[in-house]
Amino acid sequence: MVGRKNKRMIVLFLIPAIFIYVMVFIYPVFRTFIMSFFAVEAIEQPFYQWTFAGLDNYIGLFGIDLFNRSVTNYLTLWFVGGIAVLFLGMVYAVILTSGVRLKRFWRAVIYLPNVISAIALGTMWINYVFRDIDGLFDRAVNLMGGQTPVMWTGPYMGLWSLLIAYCFGMVGYIMLTFISGIEKISDEYYESASIEGANIFHKFFFITLPLIRGVVRSNIVIWTVSLGTGVFAWSFMFSPNNLTLPFTMPPNYMREIIFGGRGSAVIQRDSGSAAAVGILMALLVVVISVAASLITRRDDVEM
Amino acid sequence: MKKASRILSPLLMLAMVFALAACGGDAAPPPSGGAAEQPPATTAQDPQADGIEEGASLVYWSMWSEAEPQAIVLAAAARAFTEATGVPITVNFNGRQGQREGLAPALSAGEAIDLFDEDIDRVTGQWAEHLLVLDDLINGVFSDTDGQPFRRLVNNGLMNMAQERGGGRFTVVPYQPFIFTTMFNKDLFEEAGITSAPTNWNEFLEACERLMDIGITPMTVDNAYIPALFGYTLTRIVGVDRTLEIFANTELSDPGVLRTAEVLEELITRGFMSQRAATNVFPEGQAAEFAMETVAMYLNGSWLPNELREINPDINWGSFAWPSIDAGGAGTEAHNIGAQSFGINRNTSYPNAAFAFIRWITLGHWDQRLADDTWGVPMANDAVWPPQLADAQAIFAATTNPFPWAAGAEDDPNITAAIIEGFQRMVAGTINAQQFADSLAALS
Repeated sequence: MVGRKNKRMIVLFLIPAIFIYVMVFIYPVFRTFIMSFFAVEAIEQPFYQWTFAGLDNYIGLFGIDLFNRSVTNYLTLWFVGGIAVLFLGMVYAVILTSGVRLKRFWRAVIYLPNVISAIALGTMWINYVFRDIDGLFDRAVNLMGGQTPVMWTGPYMGLWSLLIAYCFGMVGYIMLTFISGIEKISDEYYESASIEGANIFHKFFFITLPLIRGVVRSNIVIWTVSLGTGVFAWSFMFSPNNLTLPFTMPPNYMREIIFGGRGSAVIQRDSGSAAAVGILMALLVVVISVAASLITRRDDVEM
Repeated sequence: MKKASRILSPLLMLAMVFALAACGGDAAPPPSGGAAEQPPATTAQDPQADGIEEGASLVYWSMWSEAEPQAIVLAAAARAFTEATGVPITVNFNGRQGQREGLAPALSAGEAIDLFDEDIDRVTGQWAEHLLVLDDLINGVFSDTDGQPFRRLVNNGLMNMAQERGGGRFTVVPYQPFIFTTMFNKDLFEEAGITSAPTNWNEFLEACERLMDIGITPMTVDNAYIPALFGYTLTRIVGVDRTLEIFANTELSDPGVLRTAEVLEELITRGFMSQRAATNVFPEGQAAEFAMETVAMYLNGSWLPNELREINPDINWGSFAWPSIDAGGAGTEAHNIGAQSFGINRNTSYPNAAFAFIRWITLGHWDQRLADDTWGVPMANDAVWPPQLADAQAIFAATTNPFPWAAGAEDDPNITAAIIEGFQRMVAGTINAQQFADSLAALS
């Protein structure tokens, strides 16, 4: 039993944390939601200067090519990149939990991009990997007899290059989560399967995969949530001064219409529509996360 | 399992070698060297005579990043100002993004900021409500203005621009001016036998041919400056006013848009535009092509020599006006001219002290120092332009029809993105000028 005095102390200690949480999380979310239904030019404008606009901000957004493209870019990156990251993360995890030599070394190396800033990684990809003619990828294509320049950061390949670079930085994190799940599986399952003549693929599909279904679900949610915010810096790196069609993501579009352009200083600001972008993004992440949970929830196995 | 690990281990090793190779290459250039402290040589202020408030102290939010040459000079200038006047200054170097995102909310929240800076259009546009009207100060005579009003000592064209942006009143003081013009490599021009800078479009195309003859790519552009190239070219076809109208009203089905696409297409199909322009992510074009002297020209700002000085300090810089193209278009008198600018918070308690600091930066020693150390354009009339911008000085002086950034081509992100996409596709050779123009007309 917690005494009345102790309860008071708990409440007292919780107040600062709750206050900060309300001020830096609940209040901005609430304000953004409300703002999305108003015509607001500057984000710092007081409420009395807002004009009610109903759903106009939401409807208007879907009439803007650049915003629509940003959503398409985001969904492409989420779907294709998600499959690639989950697949590679799982393959690495299976390899590293299979008794491979220098396991810790490989694990650290694969995880390394996660501790390097997106700016440094982006610079590496843009200037040394994707560079036309003498970049790493063009040289590799040349060696294989392909035609160069491939124009990795141009209008056709741009999104796919961004996808490759972003996924490269995410695989390590996803891999570690899979490793933690796989390592919880008892060796007895594998030993029994070996005695029954199961090969490495049988073991993966009939033991490992069913037993890490929950980890897959967690990783889909992690991928979805991290993409929503993490892709901003990557888009910025690939298109540092202006928004461009292959690289623009919803958060970047949102930033542009809140604070104005990076080149021109006279872009019409529209914080109301930017708030609508934020709400739509949040809804998208919630819907995807819930869907992922529902799809992978069935047949969870107790280990 | 052991067999699998023997196979997989070398595969992992190979993957890591690949990844490490990707990390190789040249190291990023170090930040620009800075200004050592020196006492001001020519600027002297008398705090009492200039009405600097008793007990004044200033908070200055700056758009520069701390390691930039401009920030290094400004920080040194602030220290020297404090020594000379006794007015302490706290300088926050926020960088461009930090300033654009943080200043307005901070001012609205009543944070004690006396002085701030950014691009003249942004300060007089987005932050106009926070600005103190400076008419009296700008027309005033001070201890460091040799008995003349301050306004007479600084660039008249920019002061006119400042007054126009303020709706007839002065609300900012420009500094670090720039002109957007054709920056070129004089040595490459000389090597190609080009004895004088092109003055019209035919001469320009001829110069491109000559450069091609010696194996030099005439021009390049990064994804950051494609809209400016498009906007500039459009001014040379339909004139400045019509260009501004086309972008402001999204009248992109104007025949001038197609003509602009055709002019740019000619540069591309004749090989005058670098093929890398289809993919150049800023600053690849300027850093990996122009600075490496494989490309001779770049339509860019007068800040380019400073931006490239660490990569190649030996470029022999020249400038010429983007040539006139069609009879109805603008000529070499029309350029995008602009500046950073200082604004004083209308709620400051120390307007005289803040203006004293502005004079400290825009006149005499520190104005010259800022120009010298940043290879930038000075603000005072009696200052000397750096040799890298000698040609640009003449173009600046001859500009009677200044226009805003990119001639308005970047005022709507939807249009900006479409211009970049279409141009890059043309460079890649997958669409022609008509298709480019059609894609823009579809936005109308």
